[in-house]
Order: sequence, then C-alpha cells, then structure tokens
Amino acid sequence: MNSIKKVKRMYGAFTNAGIQDFIAYRASFVGFFLGEILICFVMYFIWKAVYASAGNSTFMGFSMVDMMVYIFLTNIAGFLTGTDSTYSIAEEIKDGSIIMRLIKPVKVDLSFLFFELGNKVMIISCVFIPVILGLEIYRYVMLGYVAFNPIRLILFMFSISISYLLAFYLNLIFGYLAFFLLNLWGFNILKESIIKFFSGAIIPLAFFPEVVRNIFEYLPFASLTYTPVMIYMEKYNGSTLLLNLGLQLLWLSFFIWLSKLIWKWAERRLAVQGG
Amino acid sequence: MIEVKDLKKEFKKTIKSPGLKGSIQSLFHKKTEIVKAVDGLTFNVGEGEILGFIGPNGAGKSTAIKMLTGILTPTSGTLNINGQIPYKNRKKYVKEIGVVFGQRTQLWWDLPLTETYSVLKEIYMIDDNKFKERMEFLNDVLELEDFIKSPVRTLSLGQRMRADIAASMLHSPKVLFLDEPTIGLDVVVKDNIRKAINQINKQDKTTIILTTHDLNDIEMLCERIVMIDKGKMVYDGSLSKMKDTYGKMREVDISLNDKGEADKFDLEAAFKFEEDDYDIELKGNKMILKFNSAKASIPDMLDYILKTAGVRDIAVKDADIEEIIRRIYRSEVNLDEQH
Repeated sequence: MNSIKKVKRMYGAFTNAGIQDFIAYRASFVGFFLGEILICFVMYFIWKAVYASAGNSTFMGFSMVDMMVYIFLTNIAGFLTGTDSTYSIAEEIKDGSIIMRLIKPVKVDLSFLFFELGNKVMIISCVFIPVILGLEIYRYVMLGYVAFNPIRLILFMFSISISYLLAFYLNLIFGYLAFFLLNLWGFNILKESIIKFFSGAIIPLAFFPEVVRNIFEYLPFASLTYTPVMIYMEKYNGSTLLLNLGLQLLWLSFFIWLSKLIWKWAERRLAVQGG
Repeated sequence: MIEVKDLKKEFKKTIKSPGLKGSIQSLFHKKTEIVKAVDGLTFNVGEGEILGFIGPNGAGKSTAIKMLTGILTPTSGTLNINGQIPYKNRKKYVKEIGVVFGQRTQLWWDLPLTETYSVLKEIYMIDDNKFKERMEFLNDVLELEDFIKSPVRTLSLGQRMRADIAASMLHSPKVLFLDEPTIGLDVVVKDNIRKAINQINKQDKTTIILTTHDLNDIEMLCERIVMIDKGKMVYDGSLSKMKDTYGKMREVDISLNDKGEADKFDLEAAFKFEEDDYDIELKGNKMILKFNSAKASIPDMLDYILKTAGVRDIAVKDADIEEIIRRIYRSEVNLDEQH
C-alpha cells in the first residue's frame, strides 16, 4: 500500500504536468481535433455512398447507423489510445536528452506513461464525453429509442484502458529501436499504416473474409481499437467478449515484458549521443 | 566520497569508407573498431571538495561524467560514490546526486518554472517544510523570483542555467556534477553562478565535480584539478602547484616612448639568461616580454626595465593558466616531472 502511495505521488506529478502541458498547447489541439472530425465526415459520406449503391439497409451485419457509430467511435478510440511514445522516446534517444530522465530517480517508461495520462485526462473530458453524447443523440434520433447501455460504456472504458497501455508499450518498443537505428521517421510512418489497417481503423475487420478476419482478430492490432469499439456496439457478447478481453490482457502483458527486456538490454549498451 | 579506480569505457565504432560507395559497403560489411573513450582513470574526491575536471574536446570528460552519474556502465574498473555503485542501482543512486548538463535542460520546456520544482518535489519525496526552506535558500543564492512564474521557454540562457542549477540542488544532494555550467553565458552571469556554486558548496558541504572550458571557473572555484586527455589522466593536483610548476614564465607588457628603445635591452648580459629563458615580441612601440621568473624576480626585472628605457606604461601579467594548460595539451611539458 505504501509503495502504491509512493508511485501515485511520484508519477502523479508527471500526470499533473501532462495536463498543464496539454493546456499550453490547446490551440494546436483544437486544430488537430477539427481535422479528425472532418475525416470522420469524409468517411461517413464514403460509406453512405457504399450503402446507397448496395441498396441494402445492412451490410455485413452493419446498418448505416452502426457504421456512423463505428466511424466516430474508432476515431475517438484512436484518440484515446493514440500515443506519442515512439516519437517522444526516439527523439530523446536521437538527441541524447534521455539522459535527463536517467539522472532522476524514476523509471523511464513510467515517466513517459504518466505524463501522457495527463493528456488523456484532458482528452476524455474535452472530447470523449461530448462525442459519446453526440453519438447517442444521433442514435436516438435515427432509431427512435435510447440505445445507450451504461454497462457497455464501463466495459468499453475498461477495454480501452488496456488498449491504451498496449499501444503505449508497443510504441515504446518501437521507440527503443532508435537505440539501434537512430532515426525512426520512415519506420514510424510504416508502423502507423500497418496499425491503422490491421486494427480496423480504416475498414471494420468484420468486412474481411473469414479466414483473414480470424487471423487479424488474434493479432495485437485488433486489441488496439477494434475490441473496445465492438464491445461498445454490443457486437461482442458473452464468451466472445471475455475471450477478447483476455486476449487484450495477454498481449498487454507480453508487450510490457518485451519492453522491459529490451530496455534492460539497451540500458547496458547505451551510448549517449551528443555532448 | 568519490573513489574512481582504473575506470575504462570502450565503444564500438563503425568505420565507414568515404563517399556513397563506402556508405553502401557499410550497409553490408560493418567494420568496427574499438574506441577507448576513457582509458584507466584513478582518482579520489573528498567530502566537500570542488574538483575541476578539465581536458580538451573529446578527451573523455563527458563519458567519464556519464559513468559517474550512473548513465553509462563502465567497461571495466571500479566506482564508488557516496557508498554506492552508480550503474548498479540507478534509481537509488541518483536520489543523492544532482546533475547539471550545461547544454541540456531538465526543466519542463512549456510549463512555468515553478511546475518543474513541484514535479521534482514529488519525485524526490521532499516534504512541504523542507521544500519551502530549500526554495528560499535557492531563491536567495540564485535569484529566481523574477522569472519563477514564467514558462521555461521564455527564459534567457542565464536564467535557465540558474533555474537548472536550482533544480539539481532541490533535494540537497551530497554530490553535484556540473558539466559546463557556464557555457555560453556572459561575464556577469558567469560570475553570479560561480558565487552561487561556492555558496552552495560552503553551506551544504556538497562535493562538486565540475567540467569546464572556462579557466576562470577553475580559478574561482577549484582547489584541485584533474586533467585528462585522450581518456588518460595527465595531471592531478592543486591549481597553485600547477601554477608554480609550469607558471615560471611571466609576462610584462611595456609601452615604450619610442620604438628604438627596444634595442637597449640586453637580458642575456643583465640576468645571464639563456635562449629559452626569455622571449621578446615587438608591435609598434609595444613590447611583450616573457621571462623565466626563477632566474629573475619581478622587482629586479621592473627595476632593470625602468633603468634601461623610457617607458610610458607597464603591466605585469599573472601566471596564465590558460597558457599552461595549452602547453600541457600540446604535451610540451613533461608530466612525469611533477610526481
């Protein structure tokens, strides 16, 4: 208990700084946010055209309303699980400023993580709540009844927290590659595209042929945004739901373990760049 | 307090043949060579001592400091600082040290300065009273009030450096590492920072290791210096001893009434000087005279100058440690002599 308190005090300070840092850059965030919303609407109109030409009201089990919810939820999930850890750590390794973290009595991964959580707190209150509210109003207007399920929201929050941690450690491991490659810019773009595709952020995984889908659903990428969104939309139920949550946890522990392993290795062989 | 014994650090360095062809070759065939950045350092530092750690660029100072601060793991050798081995348990070890890297900052770039201190307060688990007391002291010494509420990115370099030193001192570390704390600062700010460092050293009995290229830093702060070159130690001793040993050449700048007066000097006859005991440089009617003060005392020399020639102005220069160090760097001075 005592050590939990200690961790809370120590890293809570990072979260606090993260919140303030977010506020310092609120203007740039508003721009970013508007851009993302714009993309949501573009996706919406593309799918609307798809539905119109298909002539069916449902497509692979997704109604048009579902699709709308899916698009906005995936985007918001992307927001919540989005992490700069690759970029931040790679940048610090590249210019050598990681040593400023090493001279403090903190764990490097946790100091990044808790700082970013400060950002997430702000995103949840400024973006997540309004968007969920908007979506539920839309669903109510289109369907004529309240489709909102608070248990699903809680499950979603649980699932997306795992998603975020998973994304964080996956990206951290990628960031550690900077120890060997020094400049990650190109690789990072490749990684982003891979994640976007395999996580169902572009096309729902349900739309893929069954064999492909089965493989995709077991890969860690599906755990990133697809699982929480499916949970919220009540597409995962009962044992499927439990299986997917379990899968998320499994991948999370694997990536935490792997990141620790790589860090230990890198720490011993660290060659700090510049001055 | 600090014991360093036969400390070594080797890096593997990839060698690339020049040009595009070399680049492509190195993609497939990596040739590596081992660089000895630090090659057998041994020294001790006592509690409350300020040690000047000097050497030319690329001598291995930074690598040594990084090992001392627990960032890098030595290839071989032993380190014991404050009863701990730096690289063994980094998190525990760094609680008791403070580090300033002059070319980097530990401050949160976009947040007001006070926020950095609040984060540090939590990281080091400093309780409220102690924190308040400490802030007052640091405020006093480093004069932070004027900008403590400003975002760090708006601070001037001098302000930032003061803030950085305060940040590294907040938890009252027993050992403080200052890596070029006065780099890029103007004379007045440098002076303030030196005073602050001295005051911190006196009040807390903090052991300080300081690297610098500014020899005034050394002169004003350090009793003792360790000089390294190419990873090896070339001098370990007091500053005054180095001055005595290598500072025999003194310099007198003379403004003559007339250029021709210079011809009247005959130092070889007057002081039995040999050829390397003196050196005369003439620029218009300015004459720069360097001589061996072991063979002729300053008063005798001045006496002789005033008697010999018409002089408008005369200035005696202090033994210039910059010159000494330059000579040691150039290995002109035989270093085995002094041990």
